[in-house]
Amino acid sequence: MQLTRAVLVVLVAALAAPLARADDRADFSTTWYVERRRGGQGGLSVLHPQADLEVDAGDHTSLGVGYAADVVSGATAAVFTVDATSSATTFDDTRHEGHLSLGFHGQRSALTLTGGAGVERDYTSIIAAAAGNVDLPGKNTNLALSYTHNFDHVCDRDNEMATALERRALTGVDPCATKSVILVEDTDGMTVWRDLDIDTAQATLTQNMSPTLVTQAGLFGQVLRGFQANPYRRVRVAGVEPQESVPDVRGRAALILQANKFLEGVHGTVHGSARGTSDTWGVNSVALEMAYSQYLGDSLMVRFRGRVYQQTEATFFKDAFYYDTTGPAGQYFTGDRELAPIRNIITGARLSYIGVDEKGGNVWGLFDEVELDLKGDILFLQELPANPTDTNPFGIDKQFLSSGQLLDAFMLQLSLQTRW
Amino acid sequence: MDWRSFSSALAIAALLGGCGRFAVRPSEKEHLADRTMRFDSDRQEQAAEDHVQSNREGAAGGRGTSGGGCGCN
Repeated sequence: MQLTRAVLVVLVAALAAPLARADDRADFSTTWYVERRRGGQGGLSVLHPQADLEVDAGDHTSLGVGYAADVVSGATAAVFTVDATSSATTFDDTRHEGHLSLGFHGQRSALTLTGGAGVERDYTSIIAAAAGNVDLPGKNTNLALSYTHNFDHVCDRDNEMATALERRALTGVDPCATKSVILVEDTDGMTVWRDLDIDTAQATLTQNMSPTLVTQAGLFGQVLRGFQANPYRRVRVAGVEPQESVPDVRGRAALILQANKFLEGVHGTVHGSARGTSDTWGVNSVALEMAYSQYLGDSLMVRFRGRVYQQTEATFFKDAFYYDTTGPAGQYFTGDRELAPIRNIITGARLSYIGVDEKGGNVWGLFDEVELDLKGDILFLQELPANPTDTNPFGIDKQFLSSGQLLDAFMLQLSLQTRW
Repeated sequence: MDWRSFSSALAIAALLGGCGRFAVRPSEKEHLADRTMRFDSDRQEQAAEDHVQSNREGAAGGRGTSGGGCGCN
């Protein structure tokens, strides 16, 4: 209730403020992500193109439209067991996502309403979001609030009233029917679409601390209700291989603190951030990130960064050997690497070309401003044991397709941002 | 964190913001307006990164909000 009131205050403030035009913009990017896999099945590859257009629609408003896709191919493990390679198979999938937004811009405030939809063979999503921010008097403090609701559906095998240990997993040949692209339709006796509702809220406060230092503090909360398992994944539990089973409700919270410090002497900026998260499944995490941006002349900028992340396992996660030999922890069991204890490191660099015509002319004859970016990241991963290793004769070196290899993935991104 | 703690934290932060009302004059905001001083200035880069991390890590959210402290919205 208090959150609802706070959102209303920001929305009213945004609408009541004097209004001003925003820049028209068009952004395009393509991201290529490749993850190594064991077992001679090749890696996991994801191509992720994005396009966004935002234009003024009168003095007070702007309209936005965006599209993104995921083209995924590679290997996945069908069964969580001590040797993931024994059940590795290949798959291909494509996800499409589009959104429309309506923005209201003021001298001291902004409000954006967004609606979107995403669809892939076995998952559909309809998204409604509102985000507002307002500068407090003096314009040294900015308060932002956002809320998003997802109406998602996950295709699942029709297991009727089967118990957790009897449930069968979905397969790639099971039908997951939709009508009118986004509306889901059960296939009697074979597959059903399960609901997943997600509420997400965030509040952030941005504060100028000095002419060269800005800080931000944020709180994030999310509640997920509905089917959250991977319908394809099986877990070897006490000699049988039922579909993964996880709770239907999950709550998450995060606190983030970050700061940017401009270094006048060298014309560069130091970035730092820290994030702590906790959720009701027992996954707690800390992420620390540092970056440095440096201008090279008038048109080039380079950024280097490093990020360290570590999380604890979910309360019901066990290493594969223990699920098989001692059974599940309560009624739940999972082979999801995201719910295992892990630590990872990301390091990379980004090179940017920035074109701005200071004399009021156009860049490339069309734009007020152009930015062309090339970014590369290397991702390292270390999987940690969730249970005692001295009584696990198989260890954890093969339980995921990513196990036993420190260098886990790389990511390349090419992007073009234009303003006019 | 319950809602009472959340409200208290927000109130303290707002008060701190009020204290900073005259901390930086408009004529001193040249560097605050620099693109490197904006949080999450490249929305597509952030979206792609969130997408990757949400598929690798059990944690989610708390990325912060785009924009900076220049007051230029």
